[in-house]
Amino acid sequence: MAFSFRRGWAALLPFLLALLLAPAVFAQSTSTEERVRDLERQVEQLKAEIAAMKSGGASAETDRVNELERRLEVLAAEIEKLKIGEAAAAADQSTNGLGPAASKVYRTERGLSIGGYGEVIYQQVDGKVKTGEGEEEEGQGGKHFDLRRAVVYFGYKWSDRILFNSEVEYEHAGKEVSVEFGYLDFLWRPQLNFRAGLLLMPVGFLNELHEPTVFLGANRPDVEQRILPTTWAEGGFGLFGAAGPFTYRSYIVNGLNAAGFTDDGLRGGRQGGSEAKAEDLAWVGRLDYTGLPGLLAGGSVYTGKAAQGLETAAGRKLGVGITIAEGHLEWRWRGLEFRALGAQAELRDVAALNAALDLEGDQSIGEKLTGYYLQLGYDLLAGRGAGNALIPYARWESLNTQDAVPAGFSANPDTDIETLTLGIAYKPIEQLVLKADYQNVDNKAGTGADRFNMLLGYVF
Amino acid sequence: MCSKKWVLLCLFLAAVPAAAKVFVTVDEALKLAFPGCEVARRTAFLTPEQVKRARELAGAEVPSALVTYYVATRGGQPAGTAYFDTHRVRTLPETLMIVVDPQNRVGRIEVISFREPEDYLPRGAWYEQFRGKALDPDLQLKRGIRPVTGATLTARATTDAVRRVLALHQVLAGAAKP
Repeated sequence: MAFSFRRGWAALLPFLLALLLAPAVFAQSTSTEERVRDLERQVEQLKAEIAAMKSGGASAETDRVNELERRLEVLAAEIEKLKIGEAAAAADQSTNGLGPAASKVYRTERGLSIGGYGEVIYQQVDGKVKTGEGEEEEGQGGKHFDLRRAVVYFGYKWSDRILFNSEVEYEHAGKEVSVEFGYLDFLWRPQLNFRAGLLLMPVGFLNELHEPTVFLGANRPDVEQRILPTTWAEGGFGLFGAAGPFTYRSYIVNGLNAAGFTDDGLRGGRQGGSEAKAEDLAWVGRLDYTGLPGLLAGGSVYTGKAAQGLETAAGRKLGVGITIAEGHLEWRWRGLEFRALGAQAELRDVAALNAALDLEGDQSIGEKLTGYYLQLGYDLLAGRGAGNALIPYARWESLNTQDAVPAGFSANPDTDIETLTLGIAYKPIEQLVLKADYQNVDNKAGTGADRFNMLLGYVF
Repeated sequence: MCSKKWVLLCLFLAAVPAAAKVFVTVDEALKLAFPGCEVARRTAFLTPEQVKRARELAGAEVPSALVTYYVATRGGQPAGTAYFDTHRVRTLPETLMIVVDPQNRVGRIEVISFREPEDYLPRGAWYEQFRGKALDPDLQLKRGIRPVTGATLTARATTDAVRRVLALHQVLAGAAKP
């Protein structure tokens, strides 16, 4: 029996050697996950062989068996390190007395990450419609199908403290291509970090979080398209961070371009980092409170000038000061999700701006734009743990992009709009959503066009 | 001119990292969770039946039959058990330390590493929801656990991880007290 056990032990040696060398060999050609799986298989096999030996009554070889068990524990620890990654490695360093600050950057996982999202929409529109996202649809009642967005996210992490983040957006099946944002983060500490590049303006709910699975409604609320012109990115730099239950952002950016403003809102004034004029700058800041689970309450302010070199016929340089302020509240409790947002924009120099842009009568850009919406949804499948959701929702929205106009101009009644949206969203998994809703659109001119929308959205 | 220089200097100082970003290591996390305790590392090799049972209890995937955990004692009395759960959030992984107290309830959660953009990381207050929770039907997102806008996948991955750890703890307790 002893002889046969020694043979068994001898037979195990190459196996053990191979096992110990496996990480080094596999490091060249396989991923960490594959290595972990392979090691786990081998540990299981080894454990079974040890058990077989023990049951074989090889008492004379107890020390060797103990040694095998010790090695098995070492291997199990190695697997744990592979699973946990750099945090486990750092733990080793700290026990060895090496300074984590000095060595951390060399051990950090680095590299490229890819993600994305997209939206496909079918819309049925009664007669003329003006929507921020579908400005090209103006005057095009009827039925439309559109691959509205296909966005690819690229990020690259050089170290724990320096990373790049970007989104490349293809709109309308590639008719328009743009970089939605692209910035560098220099992370210092949770309370204070630096960001520079093409930045998403931290306003409202949707500008920074606009993936279709994150919000209810096939179309974004009009307030978050025409007063807060999502998706809105400008070049700039600034600080961001979190302290206790508060998070903040504070950026200096190139200003909006007033030459793109219309009676319908501010959407055309976005520059998006495309040879953007930076004659006038702006500041944008945001503060949020998230001290209670399920609660998000906060607000943002954007203020600056938007003339970007525009002059009157007499050669006077315009300023076109603009301030946009909004407040938002979200409450999520069990299957319930409630959102409220109010926004207001105030512009100066509007009469001169109208003149510079040849706008007359009721075409005036608003001196004041106001809007708000209230939205309620309830997940009928909440708490079942299956990862799917069925959410009926309702949204009431009021928007007036000419709440005040300069003397000598009049407000066009079709810019004073009230919209009721009733719909349902189904998510088979968190990353996919099918939304269907009906939008009853009324305006003071009586020309509001109702819409039926179906949207398929995905994120990955 | 002088104020411009100050602004430039402040921005420069903000951009130059003066210290490494803090990752809680395994050792640090264990010290944080079990101050003054004896901590022993244990390894369990689950049988296929145990994996199946844990999966059923958790309602979440149990990807490995190899479970490492840390048992803490203070003065010979159990102080809790810590598990390190690594899982994918969106496309990249995170590792959580989930501490189960002697009453088999969640004692503490620490984020050990998070490779996704930190925009997807819920704030600390959110994790406090789990404290004292047991493995019951209420331990679900949109039930006893409130979701986070913009970090839904992290919230779900975390909830699944907590359920998985509590299920493994229960299964291991059934086999031999961990």
